[in-house]
Amino acid sequence: MKTEVTKELEKLAKKDKKLFFLTGDLGFNAFENLQKNLKERFINAGVAEQNMIDVSAGMAKMGLSPWVYSIAPFLILKTTEQIRNNICHPNLAVKLIGNGGGYGYGILGESHHMLEDIAILSSFPNIKIYVPAFSEDVKDIIYKMKTNKNPSYLRLNNVPKTKIKLGLYKPLRQLLKGNKVTVVTLGTLIHNSLDAVYKLNKKEAIDLFSVTEIPITNYLPIINSLRKTKKLLIIEEHTKNGGIGEKILTELMLKKVKVDNTIHLYAKGYVKDSYGCHLFMLEQNNLDTEGILKSLKKLYAS
Amino acid sequence: MYKALYTKLINLLYNSGSIHVGSCLSCFDILIETLFFQMKKEDRFILSKGHAVPALYVLLNHLKKLPDSDLRNYLKDDTKLTGHPAPNCFSEILGFHSGSLGHGISLSSGIAEAMKYEAMLRKQRKTPKIFCLISDGECNEGQVWEAAQYAGKRNLDNLIVLVDKNGFQAFDKTINVLGDPTKKKRWEAFNFNVVETEGHNRTKIKKAFEKAYSFKNKKPRVIIFNTIKGRGVSFMENKLEWHYKKMTEVEYKKALEEINKNEN
Repeated sequence: MKTEVTKELEKLAKKDKKLFFLTGDLGFNAFENLQKNLKERFINAGVAEQNMIDVSAGMAKMGLSPWVYSIAPFLILKTTEQIRNNICHPNLAVKLIGNGGGYGYGILGESHHMLEDIAILSSFPNIKIYVPAFSEDVKDIIYKMKTNKNPSYLRLNNVPKTKIKLGLYKPLRQLLKGNKVTVVTLGTLIHNSLDAVYKLNKKEAIDLFSVTEIPITNYLPIINSLRKTKKLLIIEEHTKNGGIGEKILTELMLKKVKVDNTIHLYAKGYVKDSYGCHLFMLEQNNLDTEGILKSLKKLYAS
Repeated sequence: MYKALYTKLINLLYNSGSIHVGSCLSCFDILIETLFFQMKKEDRFILSKGHAVPALYVLLNHLKKLPDSDLRNYLKDDTKLTGHPAPNCFSEILGFHSGSLGHGISLSSGIAEAMKYEAMLRKQRKTPKIFCLISDGECNEGQVWEAAQYAGKRNLDNLIVLVDKNGFQAFDKTINVLGDPTKKKRWEAFNFNVVETEGHNRTKIKKAFEKAYSFKNKKPRVIIFNTIKGRGVSFMENKLEWHYKKMTEVEYKKALEEINKNEN
């Protein structure tokens, strides 16, 4: 999705002279054009993320529009205090872009994985988190981030091209309609979820929702679906604590929505202390197509 | 004016039961010079050593940027004025949290970038300045040096870092903790123009600013002010405990008496 992001930013930068792009020394083979086009507005801030975040806060305070890029854990974990104190609390329109949400960087190892970003950032005030599901979402999300006067965070992952026809972008999008099981998926895991539903071969049975923005501002479609199905499958490449699963289940409890069976598939961390590519890591956590299919079958049969 | 300001500071610290008395007194002369005589309307200021904020509140109040009613409410419940600056109260003046040390030069660098860029777009002859006051203990923080690398490399010549070098940090003399973290040579190595001076002599403070502006290169500037923690009150000077202690009534009266006898 990095390619789509850079394309959109290049377009934006032509019109928006306040746009600055800061990178923590990353972007080889991706940002060269952006660098060429943005000239002095492209800043390689070096491997110094804490400084980079506060520099962007200072810029935003003065009315510039800074977009800040790094690998997700370097952008969010090393800099949590900077983001909380100097972006979220003063409510400044800094746009954070973290690449490699979840196990995105696969075999590069734990240091490069980002399983806790949503928990951390959604506990801070004012910030909107965007987790695109399809590469087609990027354009709309970048536009939303541009116009958002509050802080934003974009969690990026690579995705295959989708075969399905997408309607208009929405923060909570219903992709399939059914009456047996409600499935809610965060970001790019929608692809494995779709494949699992096709394999189940009971398309008419599944209400499938794609979540791409947090906080979720409208739970109603999920609630209405559950009133019908009473069975819920939540899928996310994030820890159990603080992810969309917790948020949805809390909302259901507050709204007194009765659900008979719930399965929550999430990033458990490093189950066997062994590592592999992105897909291997998803398999270890039952977040691959087969893992999701198993849970779907279980709920469908219950 | 100076005596009146010092009296106002001592009154505020005593009446509010404030700590960090020594830290306010070490940087008060630098703050007065910066806010009253060096800053132009379009310039900005960041107090990175946020624990000295009572000193800043007093001066902002004197400049009519902070109402008396708010100053009276300092450290009370339902106040806008906390023991370290809060970002969303008087945000045009304060703007950011400080209190967690090490952020100021980075924030100031972002502000400096924006000022330079706007000046270039508007073809202004003069670029506004950003002044950032840090402490010597604060220079233990890695981010200070991330920021120094950045500002030095980016030629942020409108950034003026002011170091209140009082030789103390929270639990010991700075030299005993991690050594002198704010040596002239260290700043020079990070591509700064460095000026070093006494931090309680008004003439020398003023001259240090003039010297800092006089460099013809594009490097950022730092002025290291050698100061005394608790300066002006004999029983507070160079005493670590005045980072934490609140004044008793007897100490308060003695402090006022000494402040008013001082030449400054």
